[in-house]
Amino acid sequence: MNQKLKKLLVNWRILLLVTFLVLSLLAIKPQIFGTEGVEIHSLRSNSSLAEAGLAIPAKVQPTSRERILSVDGMETLTVEDYYSAVSQLGGNRTVQVETTKQTYTFMTPESADGNIDLGIKVKQASTSNLRMGLDLEGGTRVLLQPAGEISKEDLETTVDSLKERLNVYGLRDIVVRSASDLEGNDFILIEIAGVTEDEIQELLAKQGKFEAKIENQTVFLGGEKDITYVCRSADCSGIDPRFGCAPFEGGYHCRFAFQITLSPEAAQRHAEITKNLKTVSEAGSCYLSEDLALYLDDVEVDRLRVGCELKGSSTTDIQISGSGTGVTQADAVNDALKNMKKLQTVLLTGSLPVKLDIVKIDTISPSLGKEFLHNVMLVGALALVAVSGVVLYRYRKVVIIFPMVLVMLSELVLILGFAALAKWNLDLASIAGLIVVVGTGMNHFIVITDETLRKEAESLDWNSRIKNALFIIMGAYVINLGSLVPLFWAGAGLLKGFALTTIVGMSVGVLVARPAYAAIVKILLEE
Amino acid sequence: MFQKIKHIYETKYKLLMIIPLLLLILSLVQIGAKYATTGDFVNKGISLKGGSTVTIPKDLSISPAELEESLQQQFPAADLSVRTLSSAGKTTGLAIDSGLQDSTEIDVLVDALSEQFALQKADYSVEVVGSSLGNNFFKQMLIALVFSFLLMGIMVIIYFRVFITSLMVILAAFCDIVITLAIFNLTGMKLHPAGIAAFLMLIGYSVDGEVVISSRLIKRNDGTELQRIYGALRTGWTMTQTTLVAVIVALIFVQSEIVKQIMLILLIGLLVDTVVTWIQNVGILRWHLEKKHSKN
Repeated sequence: MNQKLKKLLVNWRILLLVTFLVLSLLAIKPQIFGTEGVEIHSLRSNSSLAEAGLAIPAKVQPTSRERILSVDGMETLTVEDYYSAVSQLGGNRTVQVETTKQTYTFMTPESADGNIDLGIKVKQASTSNLRMGLDLEGGTRVLLQPAGEISKEDLETTVDSLKERLNVYGLRDIVVRSASDLEGNDFILIEIAGVTEDEIQELLAKQGKFEAKIENQTVFLGGEKDITYVCRSADCSGIDPRFGCAPFEGGYHCRFAFQITLSPEAAQRHAEITKNLKTVSEAGSCYLSEDLALYLDDVEVDRLRVGCELKGSSTTDIQISGSGTGVTQADAVNDALKNMKKLQTVLLTGSLPVKLDIVKIDTISPSLGKEFLHNVMLVGALALVAVSGVVLYRYRKVVIIFPMVLVMLSELVLILGFAALAKWNLDLASIAGLIVVVGTGMNHFIVITDETLRKEAESLDWNSRIKNALFIIMGAYVINLGSLVPLFWAGAGLLKGFALTTIVGMSVGVLVARPAYAAIVKILLEE
Repeated sequence: MFQKIKHIYETKYKLLMIIPLLLLILSLVQIGAKYATTGDFVNKGISLKGGSTVTIPKDLSISPAELEESLQQQFPAADLSVRTLSSAGKTTGLAIDSGLQDSTEIDVLVDALSEQFALQKADYSVEVVGSSLGNNFFKQMLIALVFSFLLMGIMVIIYFRVFITSLMVILAAFCDIVITLAIFNLTGMKLHPAGIAAFLMLIGYSVDGEVVISSRLIKRNDGTELQRIYGALRTGWTMTQTTLVAVIVALIFVQSEIVKQIMLILLIGLLVDTVVTWIQNVGILRWHLEKKHSKN
């Protein structure tokens, strides 16, 4: 017995599976001991917390996301805790919000009715790095089709600007990607978890309005009509050489600037609006008394001082500037450049290259999603018990059941690990893929068991028996791959999740898990 | 009785191949007739045809027939139908399918429902598909399927180096899909895109069985031909059994209508595949081996 255990522990196929398992678990990072605080789900860009320095970086693994631990000293363990704490704040006072990263201190906005909105939405903290897709968490999926022909470049620009636009609203877990079907029709697929259909329709309808105002009068709008050129090359855009970077509140602060060219009409409007403004002197520089405020869909995103030399001027070349901050100087430079790119995109794409039609909208209610997930897990467990029963009845060997179930479960963990690493959103189609993988996995365990235990094979040595089994499994695998590849492109990529999960699952199954099962069976049953 | 069947199975395998052939012909007739009368191969669901589904995961204490009647009176042009969602024999909610695609029209329907049953926004979900996508989607799935078959056939030839196995694997996958589709049509259910995924899943399950039989019959020479056939069938039957119990368990307990449809298609497909594998594939391979032996 001891010898068998030793053999199990040093077999390279088993060690390979164990290594992959450990790596998968590290990728999934299940929070078995629970997590503190509530996760920040969305952040409005002009909110008090955003101004205090809170940001939502894209592409952060769910368990590493910033979580709010307390609001004004009140612990926030649940979403209800958070909203009840916020409701007790009151307007116009200094508040501290403690997160897993730092403590933010800021003034709450004034409020007539006593209701304070910090501009963020929170949700229960993620319990692992698995991203639940719409079907499992609730949210909205929209399929957009460009009206008329569109070039690949225009499609990519549209996707980029939609991303930028949606990111301005600080929403997390947005998938925006281009998709095409077998006939060459192009689509844009947007998936936003935790957002309702109304909200997303509002976002899509709203997107496209950039305004620059002085004293509430519009100077120019985003898009080709008012802005004829936006410089994006290094000679007229980048970190502003006149200010550069400077230490600021324990970190660094950098200013960026870039040139834009206004149309003569917009320049004329600028002259009209600024000619009657007063001038003020600040720190040795002369500015106009009113700022140029930049609005994106009626939300103020930045406020620029206007130099005195521009008073009443109908110049078409103007410089837009802004800033970024960070803990180190390099961070601050990156932040400034990121903000610059955002602003440039907004100015450039005041109108998207094409009109987009909504072809399909799916909304999944969050309660439905959660219920579905629990139900699927329950059904999976029941099916496992039933299948184990059949196998036990057929082989009458308990010693086979344990490795079979263990290896099958480890196949699931491997796929989920890959999903966490590749930042997939698990959806209904992926679950269908998981069912196929587990089903064919079971088939292959049976093939391995039969090939090694059947009477006709008794004359063969163990290595040939396993070789025979792996020949069958490999054959089924390559043939299945052939049938799955065309699905990648079918139906505007809506079945991509299915094809991808099945291919990845079958691959790790056939290359890692199933050979390990063969090795275990050999060691346990070999006389 | 059993001995008699066994005797027929072992000696009259060519004659037995009439059974799957007949099934295939009948299925093609069913699908053809369906196409001739309705213009479609299959009852397309809302997601394929265009329209919307409002799902309410709550027991509304009204029978679906009553609700359907009252809604049809309110929205006579909407081609409405109401289904119950159930799990383990218990009603868990209602789904209302309709041809409505315009969001303002759907809003009217949802408002009427909300008013009648005092629903909150989080209590229901709405799925809308434009019909243009529906039509294209179906056509593309068919194209994808043709490519799948071709690639599969090429892989089989590369792997086994025997043309007849390639033909057998493709024919089996084709029969599985066509016969299952015809039986699915007879149930009167409407097809969801995920149901198409189920037809594709059938390919995966059927390939496993086909490869076992081909490997044992063509690549091995232990025991007699019949012994190898029975060995392969034993393995194949165990594989089918495990999948069957898992599918049946899921069919009983799963709540999602979509997953339920996947499971139903898999169930029909597995039973069809058993006939196709045991009679048609074994028959083709034995015929092939017989010819090969008589040549030698």
